[in-house]
Amino acid sequence: MSVNYPQQSRTFKKHLPRIIQYFVLSLVVLIVIVPIVMIIFGALKTRGEFMTRPYTLPIPLNWENYAKVLRMPVFWSMLRNSLLIMLATTIGVVIICSLTAFVFSRMKFRGQNLLFNFFTLGLMFPITIAILPVYLIVRQIGLTNNLWGVILVQTSFQLSICIVILRGFFMAIPSELQDAACIDGCSTFSFFWRILLPLSRPALAAVASLTMVASWNDLLVPLVLIDKEKLWTLPLGTMQFQGQYGMNLALIAAFVTLSAVPAVIFYLFAERQIISGLTAGAIKG
Amino acid sequence: MKKYSLVLFLVGILLVSGVFTALAAEAPVTITWWHIQTAEAEKVLWQRLADEYMAAHPNVTIEVLSLENENFKTKLTTVMLSGEPPDIFQSWGGGVMNEYAKAGLLFDITAYLDRDGWRDTFSPGALGVYSFEGKNYGVPRDMGMVGFWYNKDLFAQAGIDNPPTTWSALLEDVQILKDAGITPIAVGEGDKWPGAFWWEYLAVRIGGQAAFDAAYSREGSFTDAPFIEAGEKLQELVALKPFQSGFLGATWGDEATLMGNGEAAMDLMGQWAPGAFADNSIDKLGLGEKAGWFPFPAVEGGAGDPADALGGGNGFVIGINAPQEAVGFLKYISSVDSQIAQAEINLSVPVVKGAEGGLTDPLLKIVQQGAAVAQYFQLYYDQAMPPAVGSVVNDNVQGLFAGTLTPEQAAQAIEDSAAQEIK
Amino acid sequence: MKKNSVDQDVQTLPQKTRSARRLQDRMTIVLFLLPALIFFSIFLVYPVFRSVYYSLFSWKGFGPAVDFIGLNNFKRILTDWIFLKAVRNGLLIVVLSLAIQLPLSLALALMVGRNLRGRAFFRTIFFMPYVLSEVITGIMWLILYNPDPKRGFINAILTLIPGLKAQPWLGDTRTVLLAIFVVLTWKYFGFHMLLYLAGLQNIPPEIEEAALIDGVNKRQMITYITIPLIGSTIRTSVYLSVLGSLQVFALIWIMTKGGPVNASEVMSTYMYRFSFVRFELGYGSAVAIVMLLISLVFSLAYLRLVRQADYLS
Repeated sequence: MSVNYPQQSRTFKKHLPRIIQYFVLSLVVLIVIVPIVMIIFGALKTRGEFMTRPYTLPIPLNWENYAKVLRMPVFWSMLRNSLLIMLATTIGVVIICSLTAFVFSRMKFRGQNLLFNFFTLGLMFPITIAILPVYLIVRQIGLTNNLWGVILVQTSFQLSICIVILRGFFMAIPSELQDAACIDGCSTFSFFWRILLPLSRPALAAVASLTMVASWNDLLVPLVLIDKEKLWTLPLGTMQFQGQYGMNLALIAAFVTLSAVPAVIFYLFAERQIISGLTAGAIKG
Repeated sequence: MKKYSLVLFLVGILLVSGVFTALAAEAPVTITWWHIQTAEAEKVLWQRLADEYMAAHPNVTIEVLSLENENFKTKLTTVMLSGEPPDIFQSWGGGVMNEYAKAGLLFDITAYLDRDGWRDTFSPGALGVYSFEGKNYGVPRDMGMVGFWYNKDLFAQAGIDNPPTTWSALLEDVQILKDAGITPIAVGEGDKWPGAFWWEYLAVRIGGQAAFDAAYSREGSFTDAPFIEAGEKLQELVALKPFQSGFLGATWGDEATLMGNGEAAMDLMGQWAPGAFADNSIDKLGLGEKAGWFPFPAVEGGAGDPADALGGGNGFVIGINAPQEAVGFLKYISSVDSQIAQAEINLSVPVVKGAEGGLTDPLLKIVQQGAAVAQYFQLYYDQAMPPAVGSVVNDNVQGLFAGTLTPEQAAQAIEDSAAQEIK
Repeated sequence: MKKNSVDQDVQTLPQKTRSARRLQDRMTIVLFLLPALIFFSIFLVYPVFRSVYYSLFSWKGFGPAVDFIGLNNFKRILTDWIFLKAVRNGLLIVVLSLAIQLPLSLALALMVGRNLRGRAFFRTIFFMPYVLSEVITGIMWLILYNPDPKRGFINAILTLIPGLKAQPWLGDTRTVLLAIFVVLTWKYFGFHMLLYLAGLQNIPPEIEEAALIDGVNKRQMITYITIPLIGSTIRTSVYLSVLGSLQVFALIWIMTKGGPVNASEVMSTYMYRFSFVRFELGYGSAVAIVMLLISLVFSLAYLRLVRQADYLS
């Protein structure tokens, strides 16, 4: 998406806005990155070093923490479980929210505003309290100690935020588009499937990113629903390094940096979708 | 016909006896065990004990789950909601355990303790922590007391030859340390419970067992004179500004790091302190040779005995749905050998007689002795009393440290909570 | 002017197909809404009802709730100055987020959504804080805020400037809320930036090209064209920001537990303490219900307010 502003003479003054922009951006990058770098460095220190001198350079480089984490057999099973849950939850959320958001953005029916408010419930009720009855229900259904229990609950809790986001995007799609597409007479469903969804790739990718991150980092739901260590997810893994009387920050740092890697990879993948610029083609055509 | 019915009858008897034999041969049993040891050496020890027991009892399967402290409390809450607690699980005894017992969620093991002298293997004070209204619901594995861990080098540097034995001597020493440019006391008051030790010990020294018993039994009150005076004495200390900068937002981890790196002189803390000092120090040695320990000083004019102890520990309780074999396994992990093994890895300060030998740290031996012989052993208030009250104690003591509450206000808040919760 | 064009088309079709069309639409609506409805009812509605039930009792969380006290929990909540302080703190966070976090995210999105070298790099870095869990973020910032300049990065930098002293950011009741807000901004600005980026994608380049032909400069472009065109995204972002600010929990609990002496207390920490520390789950459930009601009131009011705007775009 590049727009060329009118050419100006190349004086320093004309480059100034650009320079200021880069300066501001670099400043933000610095602020963002300092804590993260501290964690990465921390993983390369011993526990005592990290507690006593958290923000110095890790010299000597202590790879022991990373090695320890990668050597843990549970790390890999937790990684696998987290991945399965994340993928299933994300797919479920994107599908269900697209359907729901579509209805609230492009169709009209009585009581829809009230019903929409109903669907925002997930944004308003604290999950730490909700988890108690949820545990009872999941137990009743018989899905404790089962990845599907976690998937279903995570999906439910993510629905609200994604419906709200998608509805906003769907509503922004101009109705001329809908008219144009339906001149030959199309069903609502085929409009949804063939035109709206492809056009909304950026929004869908955004929603997918958010869901992936939320699922990946979720500690509470797997903690409460799962007893068996082999079904644990990555966030529960940090427990290994938190003792009754203190925690091994260096190992936690190593664990967290390693667990963040898949999440970052998935985000990068979704990010490319967000900035794909497909809109141009569809509108012109 | 008669011949056939005889055969049928005999076959029937055979079948029935066969069924009975099968039942008599032990049916497979599964025991769920939740503990909060996440450190490698400790997890390994628990698993080893479970494996040994399973080898000796082939029909028993023990499912071990290791959880971090806070997560354990969250998960236990949800499970208690459903009324199906795990078979064996971590407990600190006192108020929280009492609530579970009242709700009928724990298994009464009084009779089992009376058999074969199992009861007598434990130090009685510690065992009492895991009983409620005369019935036992679990056993301790670790019981220590809170005391002063101090840096002998820093004391020497300031010119203090001997640790203080009275409260006024303590205040003097604080001033001497300050004048020598040394941070006298490390406290992680952001976490609230480290500071609570100070106020509770003052109450123990000033009011003795009588004061707490009266208030707790509701015949007296938490606004009685000893508790107010405890607050006043605490404020005397706070006024000297003896703590590290930012102590109101500091965590226990910060506290341990300061002590471990020799940046503060004293720390009023429980038996897990030396391990934490070492873990959080830059050289992994913590205080090492420099470490010393002295008990909470006597308060002049106090009704309490200077040998009284404030402390707590850990143990296991049995859930209401547990099979009998769970008690058998509990017995196994509270054997002398098991306790010695625990002491050797500094997992527990032993409560079983004869296991003290497993302790290698001479300071921990002192702690263990102190806890074992104290006439009046007070469990931390936030364990001894219902959790709501304990939480109020911690919150209000933080107010005393911050100077936002008067001793009267703090005491009143605690009394109000106690009045509501303790019936 | 809201044009439901499906309806419009329907009016041009012959009578028979119109009612068939209506039926088909109705079925589509029901079918499309069904999955979300099912999930919601089981895992959200039921817990809310259950919590409403518990909120009417004095209950410790195990065994059945037997001590019915009606609305006493709610009375207690509304007269507890600590709770009122928590509400005030929550509102402060909301206001600060709207005033600072959102404009920041928008500005950054505008900068990195355009023709700028290295924009992919910037976008990815800015989203990284969101990828980390709240727990680890809280732990990291606890370290950064350490009052000891030898251990706290922020104080280390501060003490480099002559005349400035190290501050106990999380230990001082005057600075703690601000310190927490900084962390919240750090963590969530990337989220909003992501929304704005996706929204910027929806702007057809022809509109901008047409405006350029008319001779607008950059500032006019942004003010009169870009921002109005992502209006619906902005409204969504504001909505989510407010609700999110009211719910924030783990970050604050890890860093301060609502302290010191309730200086950083918010509704969620207040609720958590009563539920999981004090084991007064009836009261905790009541607090959750109050949080729900507050959020609901905002949501209803806000959605009604912006409904006009959304249907106009």
